[in-house]
Amino acid sequence: MSLKSPLRRVTYLGSAKGGSGHWFAQRMSAVALVLLGLWLVAALATMGGASHANVVAWLSSPVAAAFAVLLVLVAAWHAVLGLQVVIEDYVGAKGQRLAVLIVVKFVFAVAAVIGVLAVLRIAFGVAA
Amino acid sequence: MPQFKLPENSRVQPGKTHPAPAGARDVRTFKVYRFDPDSGEKNEVDSTLTFRRSCREGICGSCAMNIDGVNTLACIKATSEIRGDVKIYPLPHMPVIKDLVPDLTNFYAQYASVKPWLQTRTPAPPDRERLQSKDDQEKIDRPSACILCACCSTSCPSYWWNSDRYLGPAALLAAYRWIIDTRDEATGERLDDLEDPFRLYRCHTIMNCAQACPKDLNPAKAIAEIKKMIAERQH
Repeated sequence: MSLKSPLRRVTYLGSAKGGSGHWFAQRMSAVALVLLGLWLVAALATMGGASHANVVAWLSSPVAAAFAVLLVLVAAWHAVLGLQVVIEDYVGAKGQRLAVLIVVKFVFAVAAVIGVLAVLRIAFGVAA
Repeated sequence: MPQFKLPENSRVQPGKTHPAPAGARDVRTFKVYRFDPDSGEKNEVDSTLTFRRSCREGICGSCAMNIDGVNTLACIKATSEIRGDVKIYPLPHMPVIKDLVPDLTNFYAQYASVKPWLQTRTPAPPDRERLQSKDDQEKIDRPSACILCACCSTSCPSYWWNSDRYLGPAALLAAYRWIIDTRDEATGERLDDLEDPFRLYRCHTIMNCAQACPKDLNPAKAIAEIKKMIAERQH
């Protein structure tokens, strides 16, 4: 049984004075994903039946490569922001929550870098 | 992890039935949740059902409970609105003191934590009250109508999982009521205190609060407005 007053328990460590950046970024990255997603779908739609060489040539263009890199980064960022909300909602134990958050962020950082490198290899003609 | 199962002594078991008196008209079955913290220890006697009630006209907020699966005030919920058996449970996901009486200590402390009173540095005019335009008064008209029955907060999944840190719709609606009060001079401090991943941003606009509110208020919209104000001061 805790001897702390109910108000002391509620006020806890005080306000983090944060969270608004996360909230705003989640919404902005969603908007960016819609635009980048439309671009990807439109681009793929025009390339039905195109040869491997044609697709590689398309992705080597600076604009296509830039959008592809952005798509990878924004998708990973948005996924991390969204998973953070889910984890904060459902993982109650404090240490566990932080541990899961760190693991998720590391996994997505690795995935994002792999994705970016994959695009860059094609853009720079490393992969044939 | 969130608690998805009730503790052992809170699981619902078949209980007592009291048949209607012979010759009764307009017979309806009421299924009422009973919880005796001492059950198993003392002899089962037909003790009185415990619940809070006071005004019987939907203004005190005492008799909030879960009726037919929805949080509402027992005094203004008509039996005729419900088809079949009337199932009555205490407000969800709160510690039960007895039967239909939940422990609202944390809920009231959260309300107190948003400092629900006028904060000013400018002294009031010596000869009259602080003035406010009619339009400005109307902004706080609806949020002021909250009776703190806790129907909204206890209907909110985010509040179920994180009520130790998330303030919940009722406390945030109260905070909003003072944030938009044009006579209040602590708006910035109030927003500072709310800007927190758990206190405010656990709201995911699920809207159960607005649906449950027996006074037809919209705490979800108030929370969205608070988020917009916090975004506004950064851009």
